Amino acid sequence: MRKTLLMAFATALAAGPAQPADKTLTISVYGFNQDTFEELLYAPFEEICGCEIVVETGNSVERLAKIEANAADPVIDMAVISTHDALAASRKGLLQPIDVAKLSNYGKLYDFAKDPLGDNLAVGYTFYATSIVYRSDQVAIDSWGDLLSEDVAGFVAFPDITTTQAPISLYMLGKALGDDSPSMDAPISAIGDKSENFVTYYARSSQLAQLFQQEEVYAAPVGRFAWSRFAGSELPIAWATPSEGQTGGVNVMIMTKDNGNEELALEFMDYWLSTEVQTRLAEALVDSPANSEVVVSDEAAANLSYGADLVDSLNMLEPSVILDNREDWINTWNEKVIQ
Amino acid sequence: MLTNKTEALALVLPAAVFAVAVFLIPVCILLSEAFRSDGSWSIAAYVEFFSKPLNQTVFFRTLKLGFLVTAVSAIVGYVAAFCIVGLDPTSRGRIFGLVVLPLMISPVARTYAWIVILGRTGIVNKALTGLGLTDAPVRILFTETAVFIGLLQLFMPLMIISLVSAMENLPRDAISAARVLGASWPQVFIRIILPLTREGLVIGGTLVFTGSLTAYITPAILGGAKVLMLETLLYQRVTVANDFLSASVIAMILIVMSFSTYMLLKRVAASKRGAQP
Repeated sequence: MRKTLLMAFATALAAGPAQPADKTLTISVYGFNQDTFEELLYAPFEEICGCEIVVETGNSVERLAKIEANAADPVIDMAVISTHDALAASRKGLLQPIDVAKLSNYGKLYDFAKDPLGDNLAVGYTFYATSIVYRSDQVAIDSWGDLLSEDVAGFVAFPDITTTQAPISLYMLGKALGDDSPSMDAPISAIGDKSENFVTYYARSSQLAQLFQQEEVYAAPVGRFAWSRFAGSELPIAWATPSEGQTGGVNVMIMTKDNGNEELALEFMDYWLSTEVQTRLAEALVDSPANSEVVVSDEAAANLSYGADLVDSLNMLEPSVILDNREDWINTWNEKVIQ
Repeated sequence: MLTNKTEALALVLPAAVFAVAVFLIPVCILLSEAFRSDGSWSIAAYVEFFSKPLNQTVFFRTLKLGFLVTAVSAIVGYVAAFCIVGLDPTSRGRIFGLVVLPLMISPVARTYAWIVILGRTGIVNKALTGLGLTDAPVRILFTETAVFIGLLQLFMPLMIISLVSAMENLPRDAISAARVLGASWPQVFIRIILPLTREGLVIGGTLVFTGSLTAYITPAILGGAKVLMLETLLYQRVTVANDFLSASVIAMILIVMSFSTYMLLKRVAASKRGAQP
């Protein structure tokens, strides 16, 4: 009898913490497409793990500030963020290495996604190409330098320096000008010299799509993730393939330091990186797959950044270059362009 | 039994404690950072801020647009208020409702509407080219003009409401008497209407000026990065540069500008009142 009672007690103890409802994973993500993520990622994972996912959204600065403020007792278990913001978090000691040996889908990732920060501090889950969208009936764009040509003067927009698209677009403009040094002096000065040619320095791709629709803008650099906004237009809008190539960026998953929920966070990361989930998200035109085994429909492929060839061709800017120079770029931009 | 004063204090206390605890103290802590340097009190952050040409430009642009919007609101507001007060009660209610209506619509929606209206293919440019006033569409969006128009539309109703309220207390016979005695309309306005409605002008002016100084959505959407104002600069410093010191400096400047304007207008109104026979 005593033995039976002990066994029952032990079983209850063992079952207690393992009860599905007790497991919670808190994630910090971008605010976009959360309905789709809920349907295609969060809800299916909750069923598999028998856990609850708590989602926190916001811009990168807000989310990073929250992670930093709770560093002693982390609230967030894992987050998705840009590579340079992840590097900023890493430098502040907010991250721990991801045990990639426990990610069964890790080997399927493109090389750029495997260890973008070093020491397994981040794993890429999506990427995007950035090029120039333009009105093919009004202008011809064959180079990033064409953004400065008189043909588009008064009808060209550029990403504001505060956006993630600005540094990589400046980098490519610098390449076209023959000076792609990290200071970005050449491209920023060139834009400053021709600031009258620029309609605006946009902050959101949705705003840019509206300006194209109103025929305010004929050419502007933009991330491929926003292409569907332009492709659906009745106007003849094309995606340029500049002679200097396209640029792009990577978004990564990170694990907060000492969050105490590492196993569940790893399980979730692995599920997100799986061919099944990455395919679902790609077909919904939410994220371009970082999983090299993903095969998508022609429609999805046309709208996303997709395929090994494209991955290899992108001119990426090192996250450390962005992080180390961003403040100087803003100052130079404010001085030469906005002034 | 509680006295009326004690009862009043007791009723006010919860709201006062709440406001002090969750608003005043955090704001003071945040803003006090802008007066600290190397562990001591200093105005170095302000000197640094105003030493940069861009910040000077942004400061004076914000000030200029604030004054312009307030001045034009006052001019148009007086005409509108004079007309509204002269209407019969039914028409007055309807027109007043139309004036108030924009205040019930989200500033975001209103500002986005201006993007369409002021665009190259918008109604303003179509009218200009249709009437032969310009050969080609004029660039209005992302200029100071666009921000001015957006702010004016946003805040002018506040001025009209204040002036209508002030004019309703204006003795109508005073204007008739002045006219009978030979005063011209400009004289009637300067000698009769303006002195007797200055309280409304001060309230309206304060609301419009401080509103224009601190508005974010309209300058951000209609001006963008090409027409930086103090609020949009503050956003840039916080969200990208993570520079809370500069943001605190800008916030303090905006608070000081708002309070200074209010005190100045109040003093002007009080001095005129004192100067009256």
